[in-house]
Amino acid sequence: MNTTMRPGSILVRRLVATPEFLPFTLVAVLITVFAVLTPNFLSQGNISNLLAFTPELGMIALGMTVLMTSGEFDLSVGSVFGFTPVLMWTLFNEGVAPLEVSLVIALIVAVGIGFVNGWFVTRLRIPSFLVTLGMMMTIRGVALYTTSGFPQRTWRAESWIMDLVAGTFYIGEFRLYASLFWFIGFALILGYLMTQSRIGNWIQAAGGNPVSARARGVRVSLTKTWLFMLTSFLAAYAGITSSIRVSAANPNSGTGYELEVIAMVVIGGTALAGGRGTILGTVLGVLMLRMMRNGIVLIGVPGLAYNIFIGVTILGMMALQSYLARRHPTGSG
Amino acid sequence: MATDLVRMEGIAKSYGPVTALDGVDFSVRENEIVGLLGDNGAGKSTLIKILSGTVTATRGTIYVRGQQVQIRNTTDAIRLGIETIHQDSALVTQLSIARNLFLGREPLVGPAILNRMDKRMMNEVAGKLLKEIGITKDIPATTPISSLSGGERQAVSIARALHFDSDLIVLDEPTNNLGVEETQGVMRFMRNARDSGHSLIFIAHNIHHVFQVVDRIVVLRRGKVVAEDVDPKQTTIEAVERIITGLPGD
Repeated sequence: MNTTMRPGSILVRRLVATPEFLPFTLVAVLITVFAVLTPNFLSQGNISNLLAFTPELGMIALGMTVLMTSGEFDLSVGSVFGFTPVLMWTLFNEGVAPLEVSLVIALIVAVGIGFVNGWFVTRLRIPSFLVTLGMMMTIRGVALYTTSGFPQRTWRAESWIMDLVAGTFYIGEFRLYASLFWFIGFALILGYLMTQSRIGNWIQAAGGNPVSARARGVRVSLTKTWLFMLTSFLAAYAGITSSIRVSAANPNSGTGYELEVIAMVVIGGTALAGGRGTILGTVLGVLMLRMMRNGIVLIGVPGLAYNIFIGVTILGMMALQSYLARRHPTGSG
Repeated sequence: MATDLVRMEGIAKSYGPVTALDGVDFSVRENEIVGLLGDNGAGKSTLIKILSGTVTATRGTIYVRGQQVQIRNTTDAIRLGIETIHQDSALVTQLSIARNLFLGREPLVGPAILNRMDKRMMNEVAGKLLKEIGITKDIPATTPISSLSGGERQAVSIARALHFDSDLIVLDEPTNNLGVEETQGVMRFMRNARDSGHSLIFIAHNIHHVFQVVDRIVVLRRGKVVAEDVDPKQTTIEAVERIITGLPGD
């Protein structure tokens, strides 16, 4: 029996084995289906709308991807998303600091929240689920208490930094937000980090087999702590971006984002248990869920049915990925 | 006469009221394979854990090449050239062979700020090492550990120890759960390692495996050394079994 495989066949097998294959296929299918069902889906206005909100959740998802690859996750990202802009705009509105300085202070506080998460998880050895659940409630509580539940005003501010973070500009009639380029930039940096750098190897090892990684000299606790800080930073930056875009810093904003973001990351092909993560897959996962939310509204499905689609998609993707992983294992290059 | 690579003197370890090791003297010479045998609870694992840095001794001294050393953790042990390979191979199954081989010591290329791994070099070296250690199957270095057999995983662990010039490779039950062919493969890797100038400690419940490959046998019973310098060529499996159990022969 001849068991030699043709080069083309090997290439197809390798392609199918990549964690990005499924989300990529599903994104292509979704675009096709929605484009056929409603021509408005591919209109300039709709794409522009889609790209306005996508980077904000996308930035949180990027941070969550690297953190989950290291075997941890962060439920406090939604609260940090809501709290950080509240802090920034409160500092500015109360005249404590100019907007640029307020932004830096708010980001530093967010990084500090990430550090506390990391410290509790790595030093006190408390599962990240419990630590970040506690932090989620604490941070949300602080945001609500300090504002009495009212949004902070943002419309009096005028600063170059607002344009830099979330300014709009036009290519013809096509409106784009600066946040899209920040999202692409963060994705490129983290994609490089995960696939090409030594740190990326350590992140995967920390999630795959922390005992072995430690034995090889990998500083697992330090790596994880840095990743908690990075995740918090990205959630904070996304929150600030959102507050500038919608001209309000609402202490309730970001509620429920943590689970939506985890869904995006997992659908993209990152393993929930750690050890394997893909930035490209997450970008596809983010696009997929945002397109699904946008598309089902456009074709007339009630928005309340959105969760049914997401739930079924997660279950289907997990089943397919498990099947493909067993049939076509792939390497990490 | 061969010199001692590692010498452990008066090693004692207690877990509360339980004494696991009671003044054990144990040594490994340059360029030899030592079989460490003993019944369950004899103290083999504890002795090896002390050597590999996962447990610290209550009392005793360790010398490497005649120098007294402190082994507080696994990193200390690896730095001293002592690599331990467990039955459940200490590899990251999600990572490729090459990434596992270089984990913690990844070579970098380009400006330091980019922290970029030299993946080309890693893959080339890994491929060469696999051939050197005797893996004849054409396995790309980018293959994830999860798709390798148990024997191949042990081979990767041994290759890693060889590449980073570990002077002493400790194999703790490396043939458990392996088939006949894979076990023979691991034995071959061990002989190759010794022939290329390394020393090895081989711990196994299967005394037949030990007899096939070791130069010398040391037997522990109830935390004490009851036989050392047992030459497998000058004795029988039954005789060694009697030493292990402490029971008189027929």
